[in-house]
Amino acid sequence: MAFREKRRTDKKEATGVLRFFVTTLPKVVKHVIVYAWLLLWVGIALAPISWMVSAAFSDAPGIGYVPIIPTSFTLDNYRDILTYRSSTGQLFPDYVDSFLTTLLVATVTTVLVVILSALVGFAVTRFRFHAKKPALLLMMGLQMFPGFMGMIALFIIFRVFGWLNNPFYLSLIYVAGAIPFNTFIVRGFMRNVPKSLDEAAAIDGATNLQIMIKIIVPLAAPIMGFIAVTAFMGPWLDYILPSILMPNNETVAMWLFRMNVPTPQPYRPMWFMAGALFLAVPIMIVQIYMQKYVTYGLTAGAEKG
Amino acid sequence: MDENKEVKTEDVSWKTTLIAKAKKLGRCIFTRFTNFLAGIVRFFRSLATGVFCFFKNLYLAAKNHPRSFLKGLSSFFLMGLGQFRNRQWYKGAFFLGILLVFLLTEFLTGDYIYAPAELSRYPAENTLYFFRDYGGLFTRGIWGFFSLGALTVGDMYRGQLIVNEDFAYDWLQSDNSRTLMGEGVIVLVLVAILAAFWIFSIRDAYITDKKLRAGLEIERFKEWLRRIWDQFFAYIIIIPAVGLILFFILMPFLFSFLVGFTNYDASISLRSDLIEWHGFATFREVFGIDPAFRTFFLRVLGWTTFYAAMSSFTVYVLGFFQAVVIESRFVRYKKLWRLILILPWAVPGMISLIVFSNIFGADGLMNRLLADWGLTDAVRNILETTRLIGEGGSGTIEWFTRPANANLARFLVLTVNLWMGYPYFMLLITGVLSIIPQDLYEAADIDGGSTTQKFRFITLPWVVRATAPVIITTFTFNFNNFGAIYFLTGGGPRYLTDDIPRAIRDTPPGQTDILISWIYKIAFESGDHNAYNLAAVYSILVFILIAIVSLYYLSRLKTFWEED
Repeated sequence: MAFREKRRTDKKEATGVLRFFVTTLPKVVKHVIVYAWLLLWVGIALAPISWMVSAAFSDAPGIGYVPIIPTSFTLDNYRDILTYRSSTGQLFPDYVDSFLTTLLVATVTTVLVVILSALVGFAVTRFRFHAKKPALLLMMGLQMFPGFMGMIALFIIFRVFGWLNNPFYLSLIYVAGAIPFNTFIVRGFMRNVPKSLDEAAAIDGATNLQIMIKIIVPLAAPIMGFIAVTAFMGPWLDYILPSILMPNNETVAMWLFRMNVPTPQPYRPMWFMAGALFLAVPIMIVQIYMQKYVTYGLTAGAEKG
Repeated sequence: MDENKEVKTEDVSWKTTLIAKAKKLGRCIFTRFTNFLAGIVRFFRSLATGVFCFFKNLYLAAKNHPRSFLKGLSSFFLMGLGQFRNRQWYKGAFFLGILLVFLLTEFLTGDYIYAPAELSRYPAENTLYFFRDYGGLFTRGIWGFFSLGALTVGDMYRGQLIVNEDFAYDWLQSDNSRTLMGEGVIVLVLVAILAAFWIFSIRDAYITDKKLRAGLEIERFKEWLRRIWDQFFAYIIIIPAVGLILFFILMPFLFSFLVGFTNYDASISLRSDLIEWHGFATFREVFGIDPAFRTFFLRVLGWTTFYAAMSSFTVYVLGFFQAVVIESRFVRYKKLWRLILILPWAVPGMISLIVFSNIFGADGLMNRLLADWGLTDAVRNILETTRLIGEGGSGTIEWFTRPANANLARFLVLTVNLWMGYPYFMLLITGVLSIIPQDLYEAADIDGGSTTQKFRFITLPWVVRATAPVIITTFTFNFNNFGAIYFLTGGGPRYLTDDIPRAIRDTPPGQTDILISWIYKIAFESGDHNAYNLAAVYSILVFILIAIVSLYYLSRLKTFWEED
């Protein structure tokens, strides 16, 4: 203990050349090391992204010839994906068509997820249930079953009812999949809305439905927004489910995947890069904007101890 | 001298506290686990008590209120009849209507009207599947569920040849066991819903009659509806959500669970073969009979566990490190650095995985760069001496394809996962760092703690404790991280062996395949020879493993068990 204090005082009292070697040099070295490390990681983090951007705007003959740093700029890839039709009779080009299909799926999913999550969250936090907790646990447990084993069953259900290739019914699956997790999020939020508000409204003669729509949901608006955004982003890059349930009605993820496998023509990795970049940029912006939610639940829990 | 002594005693006491802590942790985990098991036992016990009480109450009702019991009984025979006898016309009509909807569906989807005429033409001694030929949605579904079909292409049935597709006569079509099973599960769920209404109507008839006899006023239909709306409001508003979950999660789950108990393997081709209920035969096959099978399963399970553990660990450590570096006092423009370093996390996973599979493709970016810089041979030598690739290769480097390069492929899978995953933990741990109380550090400064000491005794314990739940979820997520393998390596180099069991000959796992991506291959990627029963059994195993870990974790979460 005493030794340590002594060394510190040494540092402070050092002057001249000694001072340079004892305090300034280590500091400079530390700075250099830290910044070199950070720059290295900036390179590692950015190289693949930069390569992707470069490929999207490149006219190189093959994907292997694309440089990491963009050197040329051409919109050829975008012109191609915005005009390519796999069969001539199509109204929209493949990419646009798949984009619109996915947009429809995402929109329906978002609307339903928000409504149903609000209903379930309200029910779970405001009422007593028989077997509430086992039911919640069961819901979470079922989700851990490898999803695509259920896809054989979903495929059969969809065929029996004639729902194959129908975006609306595909989105129902996303809704069903999103509810258990959202229930937990909404529950955590609505629980903190004081119940005295409900009671006051009930005394004034409001019905349950009115209490929910006019009081609880507006107060839970931030978390509902978060749910809406995540629900909207979900379907865009899901590949397996639509590839089985929408064989003749492509979604964007299916289009992206198709560009990378040689067997069904066309095999165009460059188009993939162009299409993927167009999709990735808005998603990245939303992700970065929402980064504060990553720590939201965790730090709240930690503060409570 | 004195100081040395002090340090020594400190050292020893530190060790003893560590041992004591470890012991305490062990005891803690043990008691938590036993509590968890006890919870499961309690659940089943309460279930059994519930069933017992049901029958006891039934008996008591019949004994003490025989007349009310009879009204309930009449609702048992015909939904709504008890309500009619209670002179509750609307309510009776409501229940009867539900029953009629089910009956009408059954009748309209069936061919009962043709049955008498046709049956009189066929001799009675021939085998006849009445519900198969004439049943509606429900009876046919239940028949199909239990028998899984009876006739295949080429069979003679009622004097006719069974064919693949017959648009005029349904009953001449061969049975598709898989469809029958799927429809059967749907029907069973629908029947369960009917049963719920049924029980409700029986109870209602009984209780109303009891009230009538006690001279209480009976509420009118409108009041009843209002009361139901108020009293069961919570249940009513979750009906859509529960319905969706029932239909799109529970039912597929049941179906694939059941497939594990059939003989639906690669040798079955639908319509010319029938699927049969098989009991635990597939489970026995996986674990017992064929040693090659077990070897493959254990290999894949071993790699899956290693992958899940390593990928979570590396991502955590790097994320931690980056967070600490950026938060350190040397670094300026913290926000800018953080923004750049989280970019890999913001790119959608599927896109970055496919980009990386392009980078490491046979004529991808990596090989071309190495060739341009003339480094191919040097890199090959380094990789060979580090045993990442096997010897004897030449030319460009096969990152994901050559069987002898399995270690390289696995290393790359972990590296790419690290690239994609560290920013998440960086963000998370930055958040945790900001909530560590500063007075702890101030106190440490006063006591003369060094930077390493402060890190080890303040930062590390705080961060680990706050992020422990996330580590567990990350592990389970990676255990099932299908895309990380499928989009990047597609399973990677194959195993070098001829000893592949028959059942998975078409779909052997690759060397980077984790269980989930192998299951996908078995179930979907072998053309017409999918060993669904095997895939289902593996799914059940994965499910059990993951569910135990996650439910244990969930059951420990304080926030989950808090009362609302």
